[in-house]
Amino acid sequence: MGEHEARGWIRSDETAKQMLSRVLGDRAFLLLPPLHRVPLRAGNVVEITGSSPTAKTQILIQAAITCILPKTWNGVHYGGLEKLVLFLDLDCRFDVLRLSDMLKNRLLEAYRIGNGAWWQLEESNVKTQDKSKIVYDEELYVSCMKRFLYLRCYDSLELLSTLKTLHYRIRLQEACGSQVGVLMIDSIGAFHWTDRLSSSLALDKNNRKSLSLTNVVETIVQEMKKLMQVHSLVVIATKATIYEEKYPTNENNRNISSHSDLFGNPSSKAQQPPFREFMPSSWQAFVTHKIFIRKSDDHHKSLGQQNLSAYLLEWLQPQLSSIDRFIVDDVSKLSHLQVLL
Amino acid sequence: MAPLKHLEMENSIIDACFRDFCASHGILTVEDFLLHDLYELAAFAEREANADRLKEGITVMLSLIEVKCRPLLNGMELLEDLQRNKHTLSSGDNGADSLLQGGLREGQLTELVGPSSSGKTQRVLSRISCHTVYDIYTMFDTLQGLEVALRSQVQMNVNEYRLRLLVVDSISSLITPILGGSGSQGRALMVALGYLLKKLAHEHNIAVLVTNHTVGAGESGKTKPALGETWKSIPHVRLMLSRDHRNSNCTISILKHTSMVRTLS
Repeated sequence: MGEHEARGWIRSDETAKQMLSRVLGDRAFLLLPPLHRVPLRAGNVVEITGSSPTAKTQILIQAAITCILPKTWNGVHYGGLEKLVLFLDLDCRFDVLRLSDMLKNRLLEAYRIGNGAWWQLEESNVKTQDKSKIVYDEELYVSCMKRFLYLRCYDSLELLSTLKTLHYRIRLQEACGSQVGVLMIDSIGAFHWTDRLSSSLALDKNNRKSLSLTNVVETIVQEMKKLMQVHSLVVIATKATIYEEKYPTNENNRNISSHSDLFGNPSSKAQQPPFREFMPSSWQAFVTHKIFIRKSDDHHKSLGQQNLSAYLLEWLQPQLSSIDRFIVDDVSKLSHLQVLL
Repeated sequence: MAPLKHLEMENSIIDACFRDFCASHGILTVEDFLLHDLYELAAFAEREANADRLKEGITVMLSLIEVKCRPLLNGMELLEDLQRNKHTLSSGDNGADSLLQGGLREGQLTELVGPSSSGKTQRVLSRISCHTVYDIYTMFDTLQGLEVALRSQVQMNVNEYRLRLLVVDSISSLITPILGGSGSQGRALMVALGYLLKKLAHEHNIAVLVTNHTVGAGESGKTKPALGETWKSIPHVRLMLSRDHRNSNCTISILKHTSMVRTLS
């Protein structure tokens, strides 16, 4: 090796500052309301649990809109990420009208704020019929809707085949411009019962992987990890509880917590989830952030004298001491209120 | 469970050699193939004598799987499909129509919950062909037969009598007998039935209406729909019907809707 080559080998590729700016640019922090309490980075897996109906899909749609909107367009600031959203619908209940309505509302709102007409917002909230005043940008609307990619799966085998071929299909889509930012899965526990049935019916041959619940979930996690290695994305999955829980803690939990108090171990009480976990351990280990949503006991009286349900959102992992309270009103917006508990 | 040797006819690369290699890793059917790590399999293939041919076989398998997958749709395509194919059917009752913003939507599974004698069965439209079904297995047979008939109808482009509405009255009487205890069999069948109905609704643009009865909720005293927690996530729209015997008024309220949040009564 000559001296020139030796010097070249010792010389650094980039400074720490350059490295940080590169990494933070590639894998930036995402703040997606209403999940904005904890900044999310590519590689995070968020699991939102709640019984039905608790507005989980609504949260996904709102996060998706923040993702597909551009940062600025024609001088108006929208504050979006301009990335593709991949929505895997395992529940098969997605209603595109809801996405469309929420997107239109956001565009109108941002347009009004951008043009200094923020005082008109309150008025327009009351008179929802009167939309003829300001028209949203049709071209922007179409380009945003095109950034929302949707796939449906009716059973686990379809889900597995989709995940295996997803990488190539994403690459085709990404060729048109934006990168994938978020992978959303609506109801990860959708096929739980049918898979459990296959477990009990599985043939027991040597060397052969049966189509059991643990194997299927393990393969799903494996495929998703491979996807996350190649694309920098955040995974947000909703999960519907399938066992009925009485909130607050029922008899069993109370006994266990009092028992552990005797042994002077108060931390175990905090770690007990308020619902019965049914996903296998391979999925539970994959998840990095957990949220729990439940219905609030008190109803919210809005301007239109309608009884709207309020929901409480609680971060279980990382454990935050505040609980967010929100309502979904008929303009399909998630209005955020905060309650500290 | 499709064994690999059935693929040999059309794809000559899936020959006995490839199948033996797969069998040595425990892959005998296409489903087994889906459960395995393909990169690991390719790495094992490297060690064999005919490595290139084996890896080509794996790629062909993957492309066959991809053909079977549904296409990736974007938001605009979803909207177009909605506007073109999924129309709203009137439910025959003005009150219900105004609540549902038009009526029953094609492509959605609507559930009508109410205690007995609340008038659920009366809300059925005319021009129906009836099939009596007494247990869930016959139900699956009937629905799968319907699916085949609809698919062949689409292929032949026959448009005269298009099926627009499918009513199941009542789905709870089919499912409750098998839902006992904590075993997974009953619930798995219920979920499978729900998905089959949703698939029929979406692929063939049919509105599906099911009726369900109520059960007492024990401690809280209020009545709630039968079929439990898992069933809650299956229908698109859930409507609660209650009849006030004093003034024979019928009230209908929304328990859940995909694009509305009001709980009017």
